[in-house]
Amino acid sequence: MTDAAASLPVDGSAGTAANGDDERLAYRSIFQRLFIRPEVGAVIGAIGVWTFFWAVSGTFGTAGGSWGWIDIVASSLGIMAVAVSVLMIGGEFDLSSGAMTGAMAMLTVFIVKETGELGGLGLPMSVSLLLGLAVALGIGWLNGTMVERTGQPSFIITLATFFSLKGLKLGLANRFVGQIQVASTEEASDYDFWRPIFAGEWERNTHQFEARDFFYTSLPLLGFTILVLAVAELWFNRRSTPNPAGMIQFLVGLAVGVAGVGLMHGTDSTGGNALSAAVIAVGVLVGLHGYCQWRFEPLTDRGTLQLDSTCRNRLLIGFGLVVVGGGIAMAIDSSSNAQFVFPFTVQGIRAIVSVALMVTGLGLLAMVSQAALSINAATKFVATAALAAGVLLVAAVVFLDSESAKFRASLFTILLAVALIVFAWGLVVSRFEERRFVDRDADRSGYIMMIIGLLSILVGIAFRLLFVTEAELLAGIPPTKTSVRVLWFLAFTSVMVWMLARTKFGGWTFAVGGNKEAARQVGVPAARTKTQLFMIVSFAAWLVGVLVAFRINSIQANTGDGKEFEYIIAAVVGGCLLTGGYGSAGGGAIGAMIMAMPLIGISAARWNTDWRFLFLGVILLVAVVSNRYLRLKAEALRR
Amino acid sequence: MTKKFRWLAALLAIVLFAASCGDDSDTTDDAGDAGDSAGDEAVDQTQGGDLTFHIITHSDDGPFWSVVKRGADAAAADLGVTVVWKPGVNDANVMVQDIEAAVSEGTNGIGASLPDPAALVGPLQNAVANGIPVITLNSGSNDYQNIGALTHVGQTEVVAGNGAGLRFNAAGATKVLCAQQEQGNVGLTERCEGLAESFDGEVVTAFMGLDADTAEQQNTINATLAADPDIDGILGVGPVITMSALRAAEDLGRDVTIGGFDMTPDLLAAIEAGDVAFTVDQQQYLQGYLTVLFLYLNVTNQNTVGGGLPVLTGPGFVTPDNAAAVVALSEQGTR
Amino acid sequence: MSAPLLELEDISKYYGNIIALTDVTTSVNAGEVTCVLGDNGAGKSTFIKILSGVHQPTDGTVRMNGDEVTFAHPRQSLDAGIATVYQDLAMVPLMSVWRNFWMGAEPTKGRWPIQWIDTKKAKAIAKDELSKMGIDIRDTEQPVGTLSGGERQSVAIARAAYFGAKVLILDEPTSALGVKQSGVVLKYIKAARDRGLGVIFITHNPHHAYPVGDRFMILNRGRSMGNFAKDELSRAELVRMMAGGAELDQLPHELEDD
Repeated sequence: MTDAAASLPVDGSAGTAANGDDERLAYRSIFQRLFIRPEVGAVIGAIGVWTFFWAVSGTFGTAGGSWGWIDIVASSLGIMAVAVSVLMIGGEFDLSSGAMTGAMAMLTVFIVKETGELGGLGLPMSVSLLLGLAVALGIGWLNGTMVERTGQPSFIITLATFFSLKGLKLGLANRFVGQIQVASTEEASDYDFWRPIFAGEWERNTHQFEARDFFYTSLPLLGFTILVLAVAELWFNRRSTPNPAGMIQFLVGLAVGVAGVGLMHGTDSTGGNALSAAVIAVGVLVGLHGYCQWRFEPLTDRGTLQLDSTCRNRLLIGFGLVVVGGGIAMAIDSSSNAQFVFPFTVQGIRAIVSVALMVTGLGLLAMVSQAALSINAATKFVATAALAAGVLLVAAVVFLDSESAKFRASLFTILLAVALIVFAWGLVVSRFEERRFVDRDADRSGYIMMIIGLLSILVGIAFRLLFVTEAELLAGIPPTKTSVRVLWFLAFTSVMVWMLARTKFGGWTFAVGGNKEAARQVGVPAARTKTQLFMIVSFAAWLVGVLVAFRINSIQANTGDGKEFEYIIAAVVGGCLLTGGYGSAGGGAIGAMIMAMPLIGISAARWNTDWRFLFLGVILLVAVVSNRYLRLKAEALRR
Repeated sequence: MTKKFRWLAALLAIVLFAASCGDDSDTTDDAGDAGDSAGDEAVDQTQGGDLTFHIITHSDDGPFWSVVKRGADAAAADLGVTVVWKPGVNDANVMVQDIEAAVSEGTNGIGASLPDPAALVGPLQNAVANGIPVITLNSGSNDYQNIGALTHVGQTEVVAGNGAGLRFNAAGATKVLCAQQEQGNVGLTERCEGLAESFDGEVVTAFMGLDADTAEQQNTINATLAADPDIDGILGVGPVITMSALRAAEDLGRDVTIGGFDMTPDLLAAIEAGDVAFTVDQQQYLQGYLTVLFLYLNVTNQNTVGGGLPVLTGPGFVTPDNAAAVVALSEQGTR
Repeated sequence: MSAPLLELEDISKYYGNIIALTDVTTSVNAGEVTCVLGDNGAGKSTFIKILSGVHQPTDGTVRMNGDEVTFAHPRQSLDAGIATVYQDLAMVPLMSVWRNFWMGAEPTKGRWPIQWIDTKKAKAIAKDELSKMGIDIRDTEQPVGTLSGGERQSVAIARAAYFGAKVLILDEPTSALGVKQSGVVLKYIKAARDRGLGVIFITHNPHHAYPVGDRFMILNRGRSMGNFAKDELSRAELVRMMAGGAELDQLPHELEDD
């Protein structure tokens, strides 16, 4: 396979065929570079699952529903999924990880508990935390050392640890407390000091912030704008000298756009909304075009429209499907008052059929516009405009037909915005020169802008989730809580992501997982690396155990038992390869989110909770298949 | 290298062995009546006279079953008989083997739970045919007559659920969520069915996550409550999920009547504080104690109990009124 | 000229009563390629293991720059500047080229415990070193698994050269490759030689050995069939010796008889 790869020239997948220069230095476009990340499938899946439950339930998208699944991720699943992902990249499993969380929680509680003669050491929490950490790292060390010394698969060794821990938990609880439940953290002398650190809570309803909606709207809009500009930065060829006229146009467009948003904020009538939407659209088009004019080389030869028969057919069929799907949605009565019980009702069938048709239609249109990228500028423009028109059509159907205010407002707005962006993008792509070589400066600024954009969107959403407005309080919004656990999760995940990407140890993790013998030959301390990986997992188990202990103050002996498979599933859903050597820590975190969302979503949608395992099964299957597909595609692109 | 490993393995084996022994021997001591420590053997035996009874259950030696075991041990000590406690850890196969072994050992009586009647009825009928008295305990109220058992000692889940339903009626609830911590468990489902029978309002039955992950339980219940503002009562069919329900309701600031099943220290504390209205107590100590007592009376005095009907050990209720007393007893491990 | 970079004299190796090598003598100079040829079972792998410190010779002496040395452990051999590129390369297919290049010796910034890889430097050096060997990697971010076999060999060679190898032992680098790819590897062997490394090229293919070799040593059943400089030997002679001389002369007749 490798011989063939080397002797063949780069295959002409869209946008990579380099003209002139070194034909081996194929340039990868921004989307291709993003798509070779292991977690990309998981990100798409998470957005899909979220959208699905947002659509079918009343409360999933609210602050309460969001903190629900975020809390599941933060307090148990997420931290462990990230640690297990890292271990899996290193080529090992830890089946004791679930039981270990419970064991660490019990140990922590047990050391501080004062129960007289039956046991409990009554020590301060600080001592308990340190002791617990030491024991946890010891267990990790033992796991790693045993795996290395025996050469047995970690699957078996850690299974032994799992049973040992399970037995110890039951046995010791029974012996010292006379009960399977151990309580409680509150008895520790320095409990009050540690509580805010491990279980500090944030009550949304007591944090009123009237300017919240300003941040909630402006930050994501800003972030989104920066994202689009970042993609432009990565996509186009920079001018040698910036064009000041373009900059002025950009600023004018920006001003018009901001004015449009302000107008929309101030008005409430349908006509006013339409007007402000039009203003925003003009602002976006002028602004994006101006930005490109300012910074990028314009295209000289646009060519003429060239669509082969396949493309033409796809365009027709695509539009046809969107129209038929919309027609079906309109034709079936939507005013039925029956509870939206998925999927065995008229409503369910209506939703499935029309959504499936419209999505397929849009998919075909998207394929045409993708194919058009490699033809010429004029064709690009037409094909992308066709896609935008398709999205617009769907938006119209949603607006005209949907009974739910949520769809009519949010979904309609989002679809309009998508149509606008697609159209604007088509416009600039057909007018400016695509970059086909590596430009480190442009890449760096593009990536930085991308990160700023994403952060800005997330911070905007966080404002919404953390603060309440007077109007909401008057409407009697139920109280919602979040906790410091979320920060622990974010911190742990960030450290792991950084570690894998940027440190020696991270590199060695991939090395020992990908080819242990090779790593050893060139001087990577393979055994030590693997042992340290097990210790990372046991550290995470300790952290989760402490978080659980502080959360509920009392611990059952079976806490965490059986969760280890969920961690592994989350890691696999997040794009980690079961055989090791490939994956990402962030993917594990996103995998955990995908696992947690249905738990809340099914309840929020008021479906029978029996469906949840079916859901997890389908997600796992889809994830494994699509991750494989994406990985193979990524490797093909890298050639 | 290998030497070192052997050392580690040996250490682990010792730790494991010590742990498993500690578990068994210890509970005997906790019962407060068996002065000796017979527990260094793998199977726990309370010293007694010539009679030996085998108690073969699906026990996982969790908080619930350890109380049953204490009851059986206490009866053995009181009566001067030997009780062999065989926990099947939810594996009917193990239980079948244990029953057959007990029969061939010539046991004087068998107390057995029936989590899986299809697998267990045959071996128990065989025991009865061999002249060994059999009593079913905990689960098996539908099959004990079929086996030819003397009686059944336990609580029927439906009756327990009925009791909970009446309590919710009294509290004025209109829509109760019956929150389950396992999916497809017949006993838990029957509790919810019993609730629906006697409760005047609407009952929603749903699986809310395993006991192993209380964060998941709490958030799922939270989401369910948020999605359905009409719910004003929650019955947790286990103690852990009941506490999760309490936390979820508190987070949402909802005024919900909460009832539970069985007991843990924190649940008892919550009842004492008035946060939880009641818990259904099946008084499982009785299931251990009475099984041994009835077997003893049958063997020594040919007595039969119940007149062909089961002997119900529950539902008893722990409410804010009697919680303090129960807490004291629970600390002794007999409630 | 001074003493050769690496010199072996009368090396013998017995495993119990099995004789793996007897009285093997050869040498390699800096900037030269010494080819060790032999069929399967000729003792090539024992020869490699002795040089890389995996095994110790039963008899004979190894000298580096004229000083006698013993390698009790692979690490010692490595420290002395002898790098071995094995047939099954020490590469992690799913990792990028630059990470493979640096694997185990990544350049870092910062101070313990907060240390991170200096990726910019690492990538630049990797690209630079590879291009010095004449290897044009499109993007050092691409996984090694997507490189051709010849390119992978060359990454391993470049890595060994960069990390201070003076003597490079190549274990059958061309045996698993097609004609074109083998040519690529031979080019890199020359490049390594031109950078002043002493290369010991172990192969069973005289057609690969002859074009790059400065010196040839033929092994047959654990015995050296002699050391030859390139000008003492024609390609045809090398092929003939390699194939076992008289035995092969016989072979065509036997085959034709059938």
